[in-house]
Amino acid sequence: MALDASRYAELFRSESQDQLQTINRALLTIESARGDASSAATAAAVAEVFRAVHTVKGMSATMGYQAVAEYAHELESLLDRMRGEGAAVTMPVMDALFAAADALEHGIGEASEAAPRTEAMTNALHRLSGAFRAAGGENAVSDAARTGVTPGAAHRASGALHRVSGAVAAEPLVEADSGPTVVDPFDGPGVIIRIRQSATTTLPGVRAFIVTQKLAAIGEVAAVSPPLEQLQAAEAPQGFAVRLVTGADAAAIEAAVRSAGDVDTVHVDMLGRARKRAAGPADEPIAETTSARVRQVKIDLSRLDTMMNLVGELVIARGRLVQLTAGSPDPALDESVTQMAHLVGELQREITASRMVPVGQVFDRFPRMVRDAARGLGKDVRFEVEGRDIELDRSLLDEMAEPLVHLLRNAIDHGLEGPAERTAEGKPAAGTLFLSATRERSAVVIRVQDDGRGINRARVLERARVSGLVDAGVRDLDDADLLRCLAHPGFSTKDSVTGLSGRGVGVDAVVNKVRSLGGSVELHTALGAGSSFTLRLPLTVAIVRALLARAGGEHYALPLTHVRETLEWGPDSVRQVNGTDVLVLRDEVLPLVDLRDVVQLRGVRAANATREIVVVERGERRTGLVVDELLGQDEIVVKQFDAARGEATAAGLFTGATILADGAPALIMDLASLL
Amino acid sequence: MAHTVLICDDAIFMRTMVGDILQQAGFDVVGEAETGRDAVEKYKQLRPDLVTMDIVMPDMGGIDAVREITSFDPGAKVLMCSAMGQQALVVEAIQAGAKDFVVKPFQPSRVLEAVQRVLG
Repeated sequence: MALDASRYAELFRSESQDQLQTINRALLTIESARGDASSAATAAAVAEVFRAVHTVKGMSATMGYQAVAEYAHELESLLDRMRGEGAAVTMPVMDALFAAADALEHGIGEASEAAPRTEAMTNALHRLSGAFRAAGGENAVSDAARTGVTPGAAHRASGALHRVSGAVAAEPLVEADSGPTVVDPFDGPGVIIRIRQSATTTLPGVRAFIVTQKLAAIGEVAAVSPPLEQLQAAEAPQGFAVRLVTGADAAAIEAAVRSAGDVDTVHVDMLGRARKRAAGPADEPIAETTSARVRQVKIDLSRLDTMMNLVGELVIARGRLVQLTAGSPDPALDESVTQMAHLVGELQREITASRMVPVGQVFDRFPRMVRDAARGLGKDVRFEVEGRDIELDRSLLDEMAEPLVHLLRNAIDHGLEGPAERTAEGKPAAGTLFLSATRERSAVVIRVQDDGRGINRARVLERARVSGLVDAGVRDLDDADLLRCLAHPGFSTKDSVTGLSGRGVGVDAVVNKVRSLGGSVELHTALGAGSSFTLRLPLTVAIVRALLARAGGEHYALPLTHVRETLEWGPDSVRQVNGTDVLVLRDEVLPLVDLRDVVQLRGVRAANATREIVVVERGERRTGLVVDELLGQDEIVVKQFDAARGEATAAGLFTGATILADGAPALIMDLASLL
Repeated sequence: MAHTVLICDDAIFMRTMVGDILQQAGFDVVGEAETGRDAVEKYKQLRPDLVTMDIVMPDMGGIDAVREITSFDPGAKVLMCSAMGQQALVVEAIQAGAKDFVVKPFQPSRVLEAVQRVLG
């Protein structure tokens, strides 16, 4: 069977990128443990680099990318000697290793069957040999260098290439599946149960947890996908799968699942994975939510975008159809509309789920970037990452990569001090840079935090006064004002432009980007103690859950990302303070903002008219938004404004528009702008 | 014979409402408790078929009360009453031995479904 390379080229590139990230991550581990070449962590990391390079070699050989395959092979030989003979891991060795990884990345980017070995590859191998020699691995170097130039190596590599077209390749060079193996939690004995919760499930996460408990009562729960922790934090009804080792039959298993309540469908697969294997790769894998799965299923993103758009249109059409046929005397029509509505919902959930990827896919690029940036400035930075498994819509995550790079670089460049300054301040010489992702209700919160010098308020204030951003009388800036100033286009307190940040993309670009995605940015900073930027993002951009509210005759959509709760207007909740209405929420007094005022609606609300309050929050800040009426909760399809026009017409109040079930348009409020 | 119920909530309003829903469905409300400690005492005394338990109560919260009740009687059937946003607490309550939960604001049909599951 001939190999159609073009079909696999994209897959090769994306898989290789994964391997490169593994290599970079492992190199960072080796570097951080330097001086202790014998430690278990170092040994594991070296083995990881080795495996990843080996995998790239196998893949590129399979693709017929001979130059990359040979380079990877020689690199592997060098690493093997390094492992076997234990050259000291000096700084030049580390730098040479990183350069070798870069050359590999570059080579992969340029790879084609005809592409020759790049200069960067040749240089990288020489540099690495030289660094090893200097570090005392004399034998290693001479052997490795010889391997690098003997015709034998080239012959072995090309020989292997020819064997690829044959079915079996005994030569380790082309082992296709010798990369780091990922344990599949569903690969094992037992029954695989797929469960979908009803659309009306309340606290679906808890309900799903009860399902696992009911199953634990009749067997051993061997695996859950998505992982239990993620499952029980879910906000929306979901589908999930459980591998159960049990003697119970299918009927008993289904009864146990259903006894947990709010279960829509249960599918019990008694043969489990054994049958899946036999069915081959065309059979759908189980809920692909673990990172291991995501890596295996590669779909062209534009195709997912198209699907998402189509399903969005379908959701709108469904709403119209349901409304048009409501109250129809024909039960058969009623039934088929209900069924169709349900199926559209399923389809939408599946497509949304298939777009979710762990943030680690972007976060994992950062350690290397942080290292290089810190080295460039002579700073010592400890970089910590948390919440790599938190999932976010793929396109949203891609959009966030650049703003995050900017915030991280800003922190290294302006925030964190050099070792001397830190020591003088009584701080540890190494600065800490912390990047985390957490899930909070219908939002994902990403935080970039440093323990550096913090932002100099006085300096920002002075500058803001000069440029007329604040009145001359303003004495102090709180965190929110500070962010507003920094986010002003072109505002910078750094006079000199460094190689890292301060060039073009500023905090304003970060804030604009996040807001255009329906999210918000919050800043906390303290002089001498550091700064943190908190970015709150919706889980997905295309379809979001929102409250529908009325003010006058207009309808508005309020995304749940920033909604905390809703209240009736009444003497219990609303008090008068100095002639102004305020909201008393438990022990807290919150300002009230009337949606009618916000959208500058003419006309006065009748004295006896109903009113309801939506508590809007961003981090610690809360405010009550008064609306005429709440019309319920719905999934809305977000149509973004054209960038150019949106700025002028929406005046920063709206992030987009949507079409409601009755066909009427509604504006989507940027709730964070009210805070 | 009608099933007996103990209703635990620090708000009279909530106790009344849950009581009405259950009484209309034919349950026999044998007691009410305002605190977690009260709930544990009354459970030992009344041995009801079903307990409805609020999560946040003064003098021992609902979760600790569930723990004490189920350690006293492993067969106790406790239904948690939760507000929105208490997802993690509800999980903790289930781990502590509660059998099911309902979310405020209560819809009678939802409460009865949950009760049926707990007793069934």
